[in-house]
Amino acid sequence: MIGDASKLRAEAENLAGFLPGVLLEARKLAAAAPGVHGRRRAGPGEAFWQFRDHRPEDGAKLVDWRRSARGDRLYVREREKEAAQTALFWIDPDAGFDWSSGAGWPTKKRRALTICLALSILFTRGGERVGVLGGTPPRTGARAVDRIAEELARARIVKPPTPASRSAVIYASDFYASPDDWRDRLRVASSAGATGALLMIADPAEEDFPFRGRTLFEEPGGAKRSAVFGRAEAARDEYAQRLAAHRAAMREVAAAHGFIAVLHRTDRSAAPTLSMLVSALGERR
Amino acid sequence: MTLGPLFFAAPAALFALLALPALFFLLRATPPAPQKVMFPPLRILLGIRTEEEAKRRAPLWLVLLRAFAAALAIIGFARPSLAPEAIAANAGAGPTLIVIDDGWPSAPFWPAAKAAAESAIAEAERANQSIALLRTAPDRTPPAAADLIAPADARARLTRLDPQPWRPDRAVALKRLEATQGRFARVLWIADGVNDDGADAFAQALMARGPVTVRLPPRTARAVISVNANAEGIEASVRRTPGAGNVGAIAAETMEGRSLGAVEFRFGPGAETTTARIDLPPEIAARAARVRLVGETSAGAIRLLPAGSGRALVGLATETAQSQPLLSELHYVERAIQPFATPRRGGVRQLIDQNAQAIVLPDASRLSPPETNALEQWIDKGGLLVRFAGPRLANDADDLLPVRLRPGSRTLGGALAWEKPQALQAFAQDSPFFGLTPPPDVAVRRQVLAEPTSEREARVWARLADGAPVVTAQPRGKGLVVLFHVTAGPEWSDLALSGLYVEMLKRTLAFAGRAGNAAQGADASGPYLPERLLDGFGALKSPDVDAQSIQPQAFAKAVASPATPPGLYARAGGVADTIDTVQADEAMNTLALPVGVTRAGLDAARTRPMGGLLLAFALLVLAADLLVALMLAGKLPMPRRAATASVVLAAFALFAVEARAQPAADPAAEISLAYIVTGDARSDRTSKAGLDALAQSLRDRTAVEPAATRGIDPARDDLSPYPLIYWRAPDTPTRLSDAALANLDRYMRLGGMLFLDTRDSGRAPGPQRPAAIMLQGLDAPPLELVGGQHVLAKAFYLMRSFPGRYPNPRIYAETPASAAARDGVAALMVGDGDWASAWAGEAGDERQRELSLRFGINLVMIALTGNYKADQVHIPALLDRLGQTPSGDRRR
Repeated sequence: MIGDASKLRAEAENLAGFLPGVLLEARKLAAAAPGVHGRRRAGPGEAFWQFRDHRPEDGAKLVDWRRSARGDRLYVREREKEAAQTALFWIDPDAGFDWSSGAGWPTKKRRALTICLALSILFTRGGERVGVLGGTPPRTGARAVDRIAEELARARIVKPPTPASRSAVIYASDFYASPDDWRDRLRVASSAGATGALLMIADPAEEDFPFRGRTLFEEPGGAKRSAVFGRAEAARDEYAQRLAAHRAAMREVAAAHGFIAVLHRTDRSAAPTLSMLVSALGERR
Repeated sequence: MTLGPLFFAAPAALFALLALPALFFLLRATPPAPQKVMFPPLRILLGIRTEEEAKRRAPLWLVLLRAFAAALAIIGFARPSLAPEAIAANAGAGPTLIVIDDGWPSAPFWPAAKAAAESAIAEAERANQSIALLRTAPDRTPPAAADLIAPADARARLTRLDPQPWRPDRAVALKRLEATQGRFARVLWIADGVNDDGADAFAQALMARGPVTVRLPPRTARAVISVNANAEGIEASVRRTPGAGNVGAIAAETMEGRSLGAVEFRFGPGAETTTARIDLPPEIAARAARVRLVGETSAGAIRLLPAGSGRALVGLATETAQSQPLLSELHYVERAIQPFATPRRGGVRQLIDQNAQAIVLPDASRLSPPETNALEQWIDKGGLLVRFAGPRLANDADDLLPVRLRPGSRTLGGALAWEKPQALQAFAQDSPFFGLTPPPDVAVRRQVLAEPTSEREARVWARLADGAPVVTAQPRGKGLVVLFHVTAGPEWSDLALSGLYVEMLKRTLAFAGRAGNAAQGADASGPYLPERLLDGFGALKSPDVDAQSIQPQAFAKAVASPATPPGLYARAGGVADTIDTVQADEAMNTLALPVGVTRAGLDAARTRPMGGLLLAFALLVLAADLLVALMLAGKLPMPRRAATASVVLAAFALFAVEARAQPAADPAAEISLAYIVTGDARSDRTSKAGLDALAQSLRDRTAVEPAATRGIDPARDDLSPYPLIYWRAPDTPTRLSDAALANLDRYMRLGGMLFLDTRDSGRAPGPQRPAAIMLQGLDAPPLELVGGQHVLAKAFYLMRSFPGRYPNPRIYAETPASAAARDGVAALMVGDGDWASAWAGEAGDERQRELSLRFGINLVMIALTGNYKADQVHIPALLDRLGQTPSGDRRR
């Protein structure tokens, strides 16, 4: 118990150490992103959309007297429609996801956090609710980002629960699990009315397979499985084929259930991925 | 155990070879260790099968390589040696007799002779036989039997064996052999190849004891048999046995071993003796102390020349009254003859005893009647007497003169004389000085005059311009008396100041050679004592404690032998002589051996141990295996397999270079404050914290931007990069090590600034105060108390006092007079304020800390800028001189 508590505490301190950095990265990323625009039609919202002529059925309540006083006609002020949607994030808690092959780039999980938080900043700016899939209820407003930042980083939700209907779900993982698992998961989600994106994050070592010589490959997180190659470079081509096949299968699964799949390498900039996600998610709503 | 030409000293180790197949399979089953890699998409990788992965075994060639290395190591541990003769040695069982010629003729090839003996000992050791070791050079002890000893003992004796500086005596060796009992399975004679009277009988006796093998050197030794120094140079005769080399070189050397000259010699066909001359001017030849055969190290190849050989020994009869050197007559003579003769001062009798070939008698010396008699006898026997005139001779002439003199002297020039000082006439053709040119400025002011009638009896060697003789000579018996009609010094003439004087004396002393055996009574001054003796290799050594003196009668006949070892000897009275290794008439013939003796060369196949070689090779193979293992594990960067070797080698070279080029952080690259690590951890922490704070203040307030503070060890570190070194007294002050003190001394001399903080403000002075202990042994300059006028009070901030932790500390700095060489910048300052704690904020209030930091900044400024602000001290005086009154505020 004491060991657990101290481990938790150490983890929390670790988080507190890097969270501000991630948040900052996310804010920078979001500032450079194209941003979420309004619905471009009248509806409930904050921003002014247009004045239109008063119609009898509007009643006296809706008359914009300030505008109407300048002329003989009665006007109604319409606001732009701002449908508050819900965006839910899920980050793979697997040990293999919190891994990086070199000192030059962040772990996959950290990059996933950065992108997710940047997205959530953009969404909250658009008045939408953001939350953690399987966590506390989604919130709106600028403060929500800080909250989900902590929750996202700390969450250990191995099996993502079924999302609420009409929400956009962003699954961030390396998606090395079997495509069949995800097929089931996405089917349930899409049948519940959710759409969203699969953020596939890959380390350059996983993409390029730069290993040579006699090599023993082990799974992070203390799994028992391992593989030995007399000459690792001999396995490169087949690995590349298999990886490509696996990615294709994942994309297919995603497309079949109305999700988009975006691949991101941790040694590349996050901005293109973010704008791709923003535009893709924006189109769906 | 022997196996063909191979011999194994530890054959049991070879059994380990049986384990090789097991090792082979073991190695084969053990693949090289892989590198471990974390890899999240392992699931994707899991199904892949590559060709290599299936091979869980090490490749065959690698296993073979390793097995080969193991086999090499096993064979190496069996201590093999290559000994082609080992088979022959096994022919008969029984002890071995090793006869070794250990005279000087063996010295040139002594290592080879020793190796041959060593190899024979090794063979006997293998055969487990005992050995008798018989030397042929005589000893001072009577001939003793050669005992049978174990090979290990024989080896120990052999290592101590060195050649003797005399010839082997086979007759003595025969006596030793006769004292030795029994027969031998094998007799090995390591001979020097030079014959002597007893050789044949000795060889016959050896053959009676067993089968004899004689090892002969490829070239026998040669000897310098005589050396003769004459006017043209040094002539040396070299003798050889007919089999020795016929070309060589001789060199003349000084006692210190400096070469004076060398010349090549060549033996005519069949000639046993040849002569070569090293052309040297006499004065240089006179410095030769020995002549050696170049490239041959033996006592016979070196010929010692007794001190002064080739130079006339000129006695200078001492004046009765000792005068100042420059006024002494003999001083001029001594300086003039030094280049070509050996001057020696002493009484007349003493000089005669010392074999002086010429004696110079100045005017001032008085001869007693017995001395006069002795001198007359010596001259009759061939001595050369050179006399100089003077006031005494002018008034009181004696008989030992070439001419009769008129009483009194002739004065030329001066107030009461009509005549002018006269120059010398050109020398007549019959004069020994003919050919020399008298310089015109040599004038004779006074001389003694010969009776004109006696002039005809004597020979006149030099005359004045008016014809009066200046140098006269007359033979007397076999000898010669020469008179210079002037003083030996410059009183009567300029002759002693001119180069002509040297030449005239040189030509005069050339007659000293005639004196020959002018000396009488050679047995007058005791036995000859050894000074430096030759060893077998021809090196001069101090004589052993038991070296004996030799009576002169025996010395004259002495040849090199244990009782009369060759070398340099001296007698009381400074007579030096030598005993030569080789006599001029000593015969050197080729060793004659009876029929039935096996002859072999000295460097015929020797036993060569191979164990080390094999082990080294095994290590090399293992090193290669390591590289291969690294390569298989993918830990060596390797673009192409074909380029493996070159890449590996290049990588090695690169690593080596990089390892060397690893640069240490260069403290000279930036300014940094330094403190001396005293070993007191708390105090050192305070020093560091204080200097850090000071460095921060410097960065904040001034253009000085110090890098990180450094703790230095004055005993090891280079202090020169640091402008200021802060030295805080630890709680228990200690004296620094000598190395540290020397380094600090050097630092201060080079212009560094050492600040010693004793932090004992207010305490009573005494020997236990830190400064007394810490400055002990340091070359501390004189110090003076620093007042408000010192540059320390102006360098950056204007300060009245220098508070540290204590409000009113005292500071002593090197006096400007002492520091004059460094423009008055003190190299050493000693204060007691404990500034480091104040800088670090450990003590004192904020105001005091601020003031102490200001002081610190001033200190650094002085260390960096020297006396730049020192003239501020003079501002009041300058303003005064300008007619202004200094205002209260000096900052204008």
